[in-house]
Amino acid sequence: MSGVVEGGWEFVIAAYAVTAAVLGAYAVSVFVRHSAEKSRAAGGEKGP
Amino acid sequence: MARVAHNRTPHALVAAGVALLLAGSYWGLLKAPREIFMGDVQRIMYVHVPTAWNAMLALSFAFVCAVCFLFTNAWKWDNRLEAAMEMGVVLSLLLCTQGAIWAKPTWGVWWDWDPRLTTTAVMVFAFGGILALRAFVDDPVKRAVWSAVACIVAFADVPIVYFSVKWWNSLHQAQSSPQTVSRAFHWPLRINAFGILFLWTGLVALRARVAALRLQSEIHPPVPEQKSAPAGAPVPGGA
Amino acid sequence: MSGLLVALRKDLLLQWRGKAQIVAIFAFGATALLLFSFAIGPDSLALRQHAAGFLWLGLLLASTLSLAESFEREVEEQALEGLLLLPASARALYYGKALANWAQLALLGAALVPVMVVLYDAGTLRLLSLLGVILLGTAGLSAPGTLYAAMTAQARARQTLLPLLLFPLVVPVLLAAVKATSLLILGDPMGQLAPWATLLAAFDVIHWALGGLFFGRVVED
Repeated sequence: MSGVVEGGWEFVIAAYAVTAAVLGAYAVSVFVRHSAEKSRAAGGEKGP
Repeated sequence: MARVAHNRTPHALVAAGVALLLAGSYWGLLKAPREIFMGDVQRIMYVHVPTAWNAMLALSFAFVCAVCFLFTNAWKWDNRLEAAMEMGVVLSLLLCTQGAIWAKPTWGVWWDWDPRLTTTAVMVFAFGGILALRAFVDDPVKRAVWSAVACIVAFADVPIVYFSVKWWNSLHQAQSSPQTVSRAFHWPLRINAFGILFLWTGLVALRARVAALRLQSEIHPPVPEQKSAPAGAPVPGGA
Repeated sequence: MSGLLVALRKDLLLQWRGKAQIVAIFAFGATALLLFSFAIGPDSLALRQHAAGFLWLGLLLASTLSLAESFEREVEEQALEGLLLLPASARALYYGKALANWAQLALLGAALVPVMVVLYDAGTLRLLSLLGVILLGTAGLSAPGTLYAAMTAQARARQTLLPLLLFPLVVPVLLAAVKATSLLILGDPMGQLAPWATLLAAFDVIHWALGGLFFGRVVED
């Protein structure tokens, strides 16, 4: 393929958006799981 | 069992990573000059190449954790292994998606069997399969040993997969993948690379803590509340 | 060495006693080859061109049945712990079982060749080379397959886990074996068979070594 690729901004935006979405969603899931596990561990230690 | 760490270092790493990514992406999207042949589509490289480097790095770290676990039998390496594999699979999946978005305007197809991307796709399935294995094994020791072994075998397979796909593909395609790194403006690339590096390091550290906490409750399940238990009843390790 | 031979003899004996199962697995493979032809349609040219791919896909699918079954007996009778108490080392156990599995898969592959010849009009006169490719390819399936079968036999959802773990790993075997077989069927004017066979051999060496290295850890308690 030769010549100049015209435009294509929608693909650029899509790539950056997908990157942000995937990394953001995964980061959120890790934080959520971490606080869930922490509170569960803390709750399980409460004495009688 | 060792106490699970509680400092805020991972949070700081994640914040630093996000900041660097925002800066690098801004630079790459708006400030970097337009490439001569590829046009604006070239800008995808400013996230694609850093993702590629970091996906490989994360899975390499997983390999190191696997080896360390088999040598030391220390649980912390299994926790890190779980975290690193998960992060590696996420980054590899992202890489394949970015690759497809790049390929459509460039080559006209969503997938062109590029050896690097095809190897990445195989890695997604290979390491994803190991994560599935972990979900179906109840014994923590077996789970740790088996996933460490599977990780080492899968990682050792990566160069073979890459080489065989490259060869297989070269017989069908005259064009090779575009050598875009030399054309990219370096700074946005480096900033984003460090951005993703800090981000995944922080997330893996945090995810390893999640694994550690779950393991603790697995090996020492919390004693159910008993009204008649003495005040000094033993309690599972510190949080 | 004697431990290896004892283990090999045990596994071959088990296979011989369970030969009805092997016949059933062959039937499965042959059915798969039939279904592939329905998927493509009665285009004899296309069928002939893709015959090598169908053969190895069918063999790959059948291998999951064969490999999983190789540890069923041990797990059912809880014989695995007993075997490990024997003087024979875990390494001998692994290679004995991997060799037996290799033999079974190679036999399966060879048995599917006539099916391929009939269904796809895809034969070759270079039978010795074809046998060589089948031996190299099935060795590549047997080594990692035996290692993972040992793991998954003790896990839940074992029927799904074995192919899930094995298939991504053996991509190079599939690529190389299909390419090599295709060259034998369709012609090899530029003599490309040797490099593909070398790739298979390299894969085999690496994975037979890794399997022997790790099997002990995988089955220990």
